[in-house]
Amino acid sequence: MVDLASVGVLGGVFLVVMALGAPIAIAVGTAATATLLLGGSPLPVVTTISQRVATALDSFSLLAIPLFILSGQLMNRGGAARRLLEFGKALVGALPGGLVLVNIVGCLLFGAISGSAVATAAAIGGFMIPLMEEEGYGRDYGTAVNITASTTGLLIPPSNILIVYSLASGGVSIAALFLAGYLPGLLVGACVASAAVVLARIRGLEVARIPWNTGATLRSGIAALPSLLLVVVVMGGIIGGVFTATEAAGVAVVYALLLSLLVYREISVRELPAILVEASATTGVVLILVGASMALSWVMAFENIPQGVAELMLSLAAGPIAVLLVMNVVLLAVGTFMDMTPAVLIFTPIFLPVAIEMGVDPVHFGVIMVLNLCVGLCTPPVGTVLFVGCGVGETTLSRVLPSLLPLYAAMLVALVLVMSLPELSLWLPRTFGFLP
Amino acid sequence: MRGLRERVDRLLERVLATLMALMVINVCWQVVTRFILRQPSSFTEEAARFLLIWVGLLGASYALGQRMHLAIDVLARWKPSWRPGLRITSLAVTATFALLVLGVGGARLVLLTLELGQTSAALGWSLGYVYLALPLSGLLMTFYALSELSEPAQ
Repeated sequence: MVDLASVGVLGGVFLVVMALGAPIAIAVGTAATATLLLGGSPLPVVTTISQRVATALDSFSLLAIPLFILSGQLMNRGGAARRLLEFGKALVGALPGGLVLVNIVGCLLFGAISGSAVATAAAIGGFMIPLMEEEGYGRDYGTAVNITASTTGLLIPPSNILIVYSLASGGVSIAALFLAGYLPGLLVGACVASAAVVLARIRGLEVARIPWNTGATLRSGIAALPSLLLVVVVMGGIIGGVFTATEAAGVAVVYALLLSLLVYREISVRELPAILVEASATTGVVLILVGASMALSWVMAFENIPQGVAELMLSLAAGPIAVLLVMNVVLLAVGTFMDMTPAVLIFTPIFLPVAIEMGVDPVHFGVIMVLNLCVGLCTPPVGTVLFVGCGVGETTLSRVLPSLLPLYAAMLVALVLVMSLPELSLWLPRTFGFLP
Repeated sequence: MRGLRERVDRLLERVLATLMALMVINVCWQVVTRFILRQPSSFTEEAARFLLIWVGLLGASYALGQRMHLAIDVLARWKPSWRPGLRITSLAVTATFALLVLGVGGARLVLLTLELGQTSAALGWSLGYVYLALPLSGLLMTFYALSELSEPAQ
């Protein structure tokens, strides 16, 4: 039986500490500790929470996260973003949609080498938003397109959040999840692109096209090729069963290092310590959230909260579609104020058993959950990508919001499609033999 | 306080860069031993996991000093006059959590583990020393939160 007092303390402490403006990881950890303190003496409680934080981090799969963060930072500083964008510009600039498409394709390509939406928003936005303003799109419109398109990097592998989901779900194959993310990621890109082009037409923005130039396309393609080869090495290695995701991430670091030091020559050996420190600090931000969220998730299991929610949802005796819909509405609401990592770690143990009961494949559910929470990353009051995007675009939330609203709708359309068409997520992993 | 904080920052940067580099070397060594030497090294996986605990916790402490953690300032933006009070309260909560949960709880975990003499499977390392990252990061986070408190708000 679920004790309502502990649910109240858990939710209340979390919301109050977060509203104070403390780090979200601290709010999660404090909520876990306070809930356990209701029924236990202080010293064992703090020891248990500490132990949960440490054991959560003691995982070989999680090790892929700092390595992908590091390779992403090496690629970013090493000049990969600019080359990928040049290639994107030459490739799709001539199509209807012009720079809008270039921005989105840039995000898709960069997402494929970085695995982080924040990094994508910063790297691609930094180049594209000024360019789009120059071409008469307006800073706010360009920022809105960049923010929503950046989230595709979380679905297109390698994706750190899918690794986190694999951990939270108790070991769903990372390779299967990575493959499952491709088509939904492309779908989000396509939906955002369509909405953005329609929006530009309605507002009478001149959709400038860049004339097709075969020579330029080939040249930029060759310059971008070494960056794109990273994707082939990492994903080819994982799909071919040559290495695990963590080993692939290690190989990605070495590849990115050699590429930016020796081929592109945009960073020097002297800059490496600073890059390592920056990557470890970013890692710390993610991992303390993972540790605290796993502790909270453990406390919730201890209080029988997942079972309570499952019983409640199954007792509604509604069909799978209705239950999935309810979960998605809850996740959309959670996503507006909670960051993605704690949301995945806290809600997967609660929702996944119900989803499996309803016949939803765990891989499919992971993709739905990540795509759903991507919307939350772009919405106030807590939207990491939204804030970084507005910062890079040097504009404010209230100015971007009118352009963002139709793009939110496009993301929701993609969510409904991904939810109702399981094959979109499951076809690729099945084809490569990662799912029966 | 400021001079001390600078020194702690520099020291942590050195430690973090070293641990991160070791982690990369470790994982790559695992790939090499598996493919080239055809004999998977049993200790690299365990060493890499322990390095991850240290990088994660020390990196989080350093990130606190750099104000890199995700936080929301909705309340402070809504009521600007509350900002100083919110700042002091949130830093106090952070320091308390770091000191009591990671610091005291972590220290007790280290002592209990050492007492039980638990060692890791492959390397035979004492797990108590692996968990030492917990109280250490607790102390560092408390230090950063307090040093932030002692500085005037920006």
